[in-house]
Amino acid sequence: MRILIADDEALSRKMLEKALERAGYEVTSVENGKQALEHLCKPDGPRLALLDWVMPELDGPGVCRAVRRRSEQAYVYMVLLTSKGSKEETVLGLEAGADDYLTKPFNSEELRARLRVGERILLLEDRLVEARENMRFKATHDPLTSLLNRGAIMDLLARELHRSYREQKSTAILLGDVDDFKRVNDTLGHVVGDEVLAEIANRLIGSVRSYDFVGRYGGEEFLVVLNSCDPAYAPARAEAIRKSVSSRPIQTAKGPLSLTMSFGVLLSADWGPRTVEELLHEVDLALYRAKDAGRDCLRIAKPDEKTEGLRVALPQPVRRTR
Amino acid sequence: MKSKEVDLHEPAWNQAELLERVENDGELVRELLAIFKGDFPRTVRSLEAAVSSGDLKNSGSLSHTLKGMFSNLGAARAAAAAASLEKLACAGETAALKDAFDVLEREAGRLLPELDAYLAEVRR
Repeated sequence: MRILIADDEALSRKMLEKALERAGYEVTSVENGKQALEHLCKPDGPRLALLDWVMPELDGPGVCRAVRRRSEQAYVYMVLLTSKGSKEETVLGLEAGADDYLTKPFNSEELRARLRVGERILLLEDRLVEARENMRFKATHDPLTSLLNRGAIMDLLARELHRSYREQKSTAILLGDVDDFKRVNDTLGHVVGDEVLAEIANRLIGSVRSYDFVGRYGGEEFLVVLNSCDPAYAPARAEAIRKSVSSRPIQTAKGPLSLTMSFGVLLSADWGPRTVEELLHEVDLALYRAKDAGRDCLRIAKPDEKTEGLRVALPQPVRRTR
Repeated sequence: MKSKEVDLHEPAWNQAELLERVENDGELVRELLAIFKGDFPRTVRSLEAAVSSGDLKNSGSLSHTLKGMFSNLGAARAAAAAASLEKLACAGETAALKDAFDVLEREAGRLLPELDAYLAEVRR
C-alpha cells in the first residue's frame, strides 16, 4: 500500500521511511504541507498519510482541512505526528480532519498498528464504494444487454439535447427496432431471443464512438444517441450502425440467424428546441415509416410545415405491427 | 523552568532507546547520526542568530525543529532544553531566550562527543 510522509525534518523522515518500508509500504516523502497536499489531491494519490504537525508552507492540520474539503476523491486516512501533547491540540488536529494522531518520538510497532487501523477503514470504504457502484450500475443498466436502461438513456438524451442546443450543435437520435423479432422468440424460444438481443447490443455499442450512448428502450427497441453529430454525415453513420446488425449472421445456440433492423433517425438541429418526449414521438413516427416501407431500412424525421402545423392536434399513432 | 524538565541523572544520549526504536538497525542509527551531524550545526547557528536578534517566530520554529531532532535521537536532556526555549519564544519572553539558548548549547556540547564516540566505535 502507498503511503505519504510529510515532515520537514530529515531525521524524522528517515526514521519513518525505514519503519514503513520494513512494514511493506510503498513510501513517498515530502518536506512540507504544500507538497503533501499536491500528492494527496492527485486522482491516484496515496490514501494513507503521516503528516507532521509543524511544517513550512502549510501545517499538518491545514493539509487535513484542505484534503477534507474535496468531496469527489477517495477517502484519505491521515495521521498527524505531533510533539504537542495537550488535549486542546489533539482536539484541534482531529477537528481539522485527521483520523488519528501519534506523539513523537514514535514507537514503530504502535505506528504500524495505527496504520493497520487506517488500512481497515480504507478497505471498508472501498467495499462500500464498490457496493454503491454496483447498485448504481444495476439502477441504470439493462441486466440482459448491460446497455443503459430506458430511464438512464432518456436522462442522458435530455442532457445532450440541452448541451447541443446551447452549443448550437446537433444530436442525432436513432430509434431502432429488430425486424420480426417476435418470430425469433416464437419459433426458437426466449433463450435464443435473449442471445440475439445481447449480440445486437454488442454490435450497436461497437459501432458508435466512446462518447455516444446506446440504450435498451423497450423489448427489442434500442435508442442510440450520437453526440455532436454533423448533420451532413448523420444518415451515413445511422446506416452504418444499422448495417452492423444485418451485415453478418448472429450466432445462437440454435445456429446462425440473419436479422435486420429498422431505424427512425432525427437530427436535433432540424427541430429546434423541443422536449425529449416530442422528439422521441417524431423519431418513433419515422421508425414507423421505415417499418411501413418494408423494414431493413431507415427513415429520417423532418419537420414538415403541413404536419408541423397539425402536430399538436394529431391523435397518437396507432401502434405499429413489428 | 530548566530544572523541571531536565533530569540531571539522565545521560545526554540514550543509545539503547534509539536502538530499540529503530528495531536494532545499527546501519540506520549511523545514517540518522550522519543526518543529524549534517543538519545540526546549520540549525543551531540559525537559532543563535534568531535569539540574538529577538526574532521570536524563528526562535520558536528552529527550537521546535531541534526538539524533534533530539527527541528522535533519544537525547532527552537536549530535547528538554530545546522545548524550554520553544516555550519561551511562544510566550514572547524575549529577555529569557539567551539563557535558554546557552542551556541548549551546553546540552548539545555534552551530546555531540557521545555521538562521535559511538560513530568511532562502530567504524572500528
